[in-house]
Amino acid sequence: MRLMRASEIIKRPVVTMRGDDIAQVKDIVYAAHGGAVGGFTLAGRGMFAGPMKLGLSWHAVVALGADAVMISDESALEATSVVFDAAVTGRGGGDVIGSQVLTDSGVDLGLVIDVIIAASETVGGQCDVVGYEIEASEALGTKGTKLLIPLPDTIAASAEHLMVPASARDFVSHDLAGFGAAVTAFRAQLDGAV
Amino acid sequence: MQWWVWLVVALVVIAMLVVAVLAVQARRRRGGVLVDRSRRANRPTGGSA
Repeated sequence: MRLMRASEIIKRPVVTMRGDDIAQVKDIVYAAHGGAVGGFTLAGRGMFAGPMKLGLSWHAVVALGADAVMISDESALEATSVVFDAAVTGRGGGDVIGSQVLTDSGVDLGLVIDVIIAASETVGGQCDVVGYEIEASEALGTKGTKLLIPLPDTIAASAEHLMVPASARDFVSHDLAGFGAAVTAFRAQLDGAV
Repeated sequence: MQWWVWLVVALVVIAMLVVAVLAVQARRRRGGVLVDRSRRANRPTGGSA
């Protein structure tokens, strides 16, 4: 699994295997229950191109590379309303950037400034939201600093509040290098507690 | 008013329109991370990181 920030994927070009640059990633859409990335909404290429009515399901992605999202051909794109919940694509809310992270004991940990995604490096593999990058609140003792906080397998997410177990505070990281191990340790601890 | 005053006013108006169009376009193209409430987990159990 490769860890990356959502902000690194947004605006990444979508390229077919023939080499056609047909779109760019606009939004990343993930499941409220479980955190599996369902796919991407798209915007056209070029300065004056707006959002597209076509979306890209994760299962249609051949490779999520460092510089481009590879797909087989244009037929891999589907109507956004078919791929995703209309409530999401209608932009009536749902963007977690800027949302408040609360523990299950009611402590505010900070505001989400980015989302950490773990993507399988094999075709057809899993792509999950595994953590948030937050601007820490006073509760973490380092107000204003950027921290990575791991998520459990079962995420509870809405646009307003993102809930995490209180024990997530013990597994915060400062950079992506050690964050994969922190996520694994955090989830193992939760599994042990059940 | 002299002709150059009209020219300056026209240039200012054009500049404001260009800035407004670029701002609207940047807002339309701005990305995010959206929660899909209709979508359920598609893996059985266990960690993924």
